[in-house]
Amino acid sequence: MPGDEGLLDRVVDWLPKTLVFKRVASWTLVPLWARLTPVKPLPGGPHLSFQHGDNVQCMMNLIMPLKVKSPIGRAEAALAIAQNKDAIFAGLNNVGTVHFARFVIVGDNICMFSVYDGDFTNYIRDFIATIGSVFNAVVELVEGGDDVIPCEENVEAFIQWVHERDLYQVPDTATDFLRDQEALNGEGAVSGNDDLTLLPRKLVLQLRANANVSLGSGYRAYPGFSVAQVRKQLGLGW
Amino acid sequence: MVDASVAKRLVQAIIDNLPEPVPGKRPVHTIGIGVKGEFVASDVARTYCIAEHFKGQPVPVSVRFSNGLGGLEQHDGWSDVRGMATRFHLPDGRGTDLIATTLGEFFVRNVEDFFEFADVAKLEKYERRAWWRKLGDLLQLKVPPRNPYPNETVSVDAGALRYANRHRFAQLGIFQVSLIGAPVSYARASYHAVHTFWVTGSDGARRPVRFSWQPVAGVRNTDPKAVPRDKYLFEELKNRLRRWPARFMLMMTIGEAGDALDDPTKPWPGTRIRVVMGTLTLIKVAEDQEADGERISFNPCRLVPGIEVSADPILEARLGAYEVSREMRGGCPFRWR
Repeated sequence: MPGDEGLLDRVVDWLPKTLVFKRVASWTLVPLWARLTPVKPLPGGPHLSFQHGDNVQCMMNLIMPLKVKSPIGRAEAALAIAQNKDAIFAGLNNVGTVHFARFVIVGDNICMFSVYDGDFTNYIRDFIATIGSVFNAVVELVEGGDDVIPCEENVEAFIQWVHERDLYQVPDTATDFLRDQEALNGEGAVSGNDDLTLLPRKLVLQLRANANVSLGSGYRAYPGFSVAQVRKQLGLGW
Repeated sequence: MVDASVAKRLVQAIIDNLPEPVPGKRPVHTIGIGVKGEFVASDVARTYCIAEHFKGQPVPVSVRFSNGLGGLEQHDGWSDVRGMATRFHLPDGRGTDLIATTLGEFFVRNVEDFFEFADVAKLEKYERRAWWRKLGDLLQLKVPPRNPYPNETVSVDAGALRYANRHRFAQLGIFQVSLIGAPVSYARASYHAVHTFWVTGSDGARRPVRFSWQPVAGVRNTDPKAVPRDKYLFEELKNRLRRWPARFMLMMTIGEAGDALDDPTKPWPGTRIRVVMGTLTLIKVAEDQEADGERISFNPCRLVPGIEVSADPILEARLGAYEVSREMRGGCPFRWR
């Protein structure tokens, strides 16, 4: 009861809210627990599913560090996109499975966020066929990109390269995050001797291994519909 | 239907875990308030469900909002599941119910699970965790258990956590309960019917669905760091409805092949098609709380043609358990269709 609390109780309740504690814990406790209980980074992209609703409006979230980490590098990336506007629209109109695609510069990273229907590898494959030159223009500016361009001549390697940079999508329900970790570690038991209070630590350690993630699988106003269905229903033709 | 003796054991298991008996009252969701309103189906509702209340004509409704805790003590500000039981009064004199809570997923799959849960998650003495143990939690990057609320001496939290640690299917529901908080108003929370139902559309197609009420005013909880107030929700609702009606949208999510149809512990992905089935407008707090709140006897299986129960064992068990509870407190009898 509040009346029973002593000075040390109040201090310990207050401590985790302080910036000092969070910083000290980040420098000491997090590396310590990462060493004692190592975690593997969870893989990016949508979770595998055979169900229709999970295979439309899928998300791709790429964060690609620029080679030139300066305003000049960022300007090069901005120009690469601006110069290829026609190619991007032509690709969107021809591929027909993309709800939207956005290029964003965050710090010294160029990011590509898109929502597409169907299989990830087919999505990238279709875009290589239609706007491979845009990918080449962007990836050329990105760390580790030289090995996979021109993408038209390195299709499988390029798809893998993109997949490795696609962010892990933290499940919408917190406990499904635990299931993802168990699956990655090959643990499939339905019931066990778990400790649910470790969920915060597991999340911290995963976010240490996987600094950039997508929070949830996206919040959709009209889930379950493909680009083709929307265009057909709205009478926009194809 | 679940055997009558099992239904009695279910209710008794709940009663046995109360701080003190509450004769003549609901054993859980004991504290509640009855409200009058009207439901109007959306233009598309009938396409998906031919049930009478989805035809489009205004349907009078009785709603009972409640706090999940059992017992006569009112603790509105405590983190707790809230209930929203709705009776649609149909033109031919029949009624149909939709019972929902702020919990998105349940924590047991069937009756056997429930008995085990009731056995493990008993009321236990609940005290502030010692500072040095909390410090130990922090060093392990754990979040320490919450401090007891003023006058809170017992809780099922520790037992529920033990149960969740043993059973992964229970973890989502119990984790959600631990974070659920207290709404600033009964009209500012989302309520989920949890179970799967089958609806028949105007084209004869049967679809598995789950229902949720979503507040037009938006979802908002109280500040969890503030000292909780024990009594504010009834007065807040009365004042709110004196000024303006409160509205909820009835959303229906359509399941797909492979989704959990008979297991209320498993969520459906947010990628499923959602349909707006109608709008509920709450007009006033019922004047006769005894008739329109306490004696009204809701049952999640009180359905009308066009909506059917799924094979969810918990839904099936609730049919009998709600009847047993109703008989014990002398509520209005449950008339089947």
